[in-house]
Amino acid sequence: MIKDITFGQYFPAKSIIHRLDPRIKLVLSLMFIIFIFVAQNAVSLAFIGTLTLLFVLISRVPVSLFLKNIKAILFVIILTSVLNALYVTTGNVLLEFWIIKITADGVKRALFMSARIIILIISSSLLTYTTTPTELTDAIERLLKPLRFIGLGEAVHVMAMMITIALRFIPTLIEETDKIMSAQKARGADLESGTLFERIKALIPILVPLLISSVRRAYDLAEAMECRCYNGGSGRQRMKQLKLAGRDYLSLAVLVVCMSAIIAFNIIF
Amino acid sequence: MATLSVENLTYVYGEKSPFQKTAIEDVTFSAKSGEIIGVIGHTGSGKSTLVQHFNGLLKANSGKVLLDGADIWENPKEIRKIRFKIGMVFQYPEYQLFEETVYKDIAFGPTNMGLSAEDINKRVLDTAQMLGITAEMLEKSPFDLSGGEKRRVAIAGVMAMQPEIIVFDEPTAGLDPAGRDIVLEKIKEYRDRTGALVFIVSHSMEDMARVADKLLVMNSGHLSMFDTVKKVFSNPQKLKKIGLNVPQVTKVFSALKEKGIPVDENVFTVNDAVSYLLSFLKGGKNND
Repeated sequence: MIKDITFGQYFPAKSIIHRLDPRIKLVLSLMFIIFIFVAQNAVSLAFIGTLTLLFVLISRVPVSLFLKNIKAILFVIILTSVLNALYVTTGNVLLEFWIIKITADGVKRALFMSARIIILIISSSLLTYTTTPTELTDAIERLLKPLRFIGLGEAVHVMAMMITIALRFIPTLIEETDKIMSAQKARGADLESGTLFERIKALIPILVPLLISSVRRAYDLAEAMECRCYNGGSGRQRMKQLKLAGRDYLSLAVLVVCMSAIIAFNIIF
Repeated sequence: MATLSVENLTYVYGEKSPFQKTAIEDVTFSAKSGEIIGVIGHTGSGKSTLVQHFNGLLKANSGKVLLDGADIWENPKEIRKIRFKIGMVFQYPEYQLFEETVYKDIAFGPTNMGLSAEDINKRVLDTAQMLGITAEMLEKSPFDLSGGEKRRVAIAGVMAMQPEIIVFDEPTAGLDPAGRDIVLEKIKEYRDRTGALVFIVSHSMEDMARVADKLLVMNSGHLSMFDTVKKVFSNPQKLKKIGLNVPQVTKVFSALKEKGIPVDENVFTVNDAVSYLLSFLKGGKNND
């Protein structure tokens, strides 16, 4: 059913990672992702992998959720591995057959790339699992605040507001779609069979009511916002003030140490 | 004649996710043609979830829905045929209107049934007439109608399929008193004409007292009571415990009785109350 589509995969739990300031979390995640690609050898990659695993355990988000995300891009992982294994033709030949030549270096390369992708997926899902979409947009808005010096202050606010509203209404729209689909199915609408053209035609009874109710909702929301004197971003204050706490500085420090370790491993090994 | 039986129905939302919730648990009952059954219960008691099982919009985790003794899921490919027999009018059904004209919208269900053009035309016109939809309205866009008119058009869209069993989820929600009266009256008229089995999900005890024959009371996913209106409303303590109540006018009569005035407590509608009290004026004694 359509309800199975998850968006903003926030998983509520109590952990230090959930409580971190979203700005810090966003910056740390970006740096972490960059360092996945800085890691040049097996030791530094293993180190960064262990760190990721540790963070997953600390976050208290079930491991099965991460596995589900990896499963979703399994095809990409396999494809890159195969391509890497085929293209790298140096080193000991393990298998030679027709025009295909698999070498030890190729296999190594393939494993290395797969590990990188898996770590990348886990660490970025860690951010979305532990941060609500609203927190994330808040963080983006705050981080982009310096843009006001080049006259883009209002634009940043408007973008952030648009993202927040869009995220807020995704579950509502999914629910609405579900309801309209049920109603039309109850009137015998056939959404599951027929030629492509018939199927597209069968969507009209769903899309027309959905579009109408979205426009109605947009008007209602605009009016409700105006009634509460909303007139853009300037001079607005926030109910939830983002404030850096001890744990935020601590996590920054931990990350800097880890990053230096990776650079060191890169040089030593 | 149609009989709908529900056996040990259990449905769990979001199974195996952190948001798992049992919506209905072990619900069993049976109802037959000609009855109007009011489904009442507190918000979130599982009323709407229960009725969505009747025509296979939801599939239970365990338990069965039987139409005339046959499991509706016996042949999953035929579920559409079940939906032609068991109609469903959702909450705020006017939000599902989509066609260019009222006529076309009412014809949507019958067309899906694969009826002949002649049959479709007859059904649309008959249903429109029954629901007081004029020929002029039939040619208009459904979006140009008033709220009450839209509601009637949406109901007509389901009634035109002439289902043997028809479910209404909060059919009077958001209507003005005149609109409520019309909708309830038309539901009753449909039952009288076709002998259908009707379910009405509602929050209004007053409405239920007026139209329902039996009440099905849901409480946090369980079937709490299934009996005649009189029997259910004669147990106000139990109703209050699950966040429901008896009709206002019944409260007045019980209060009178508590004060020592010998009146019958089983008065559920204002009309009943009027004729009951008038009988005192005329004959000087009550008609029980």
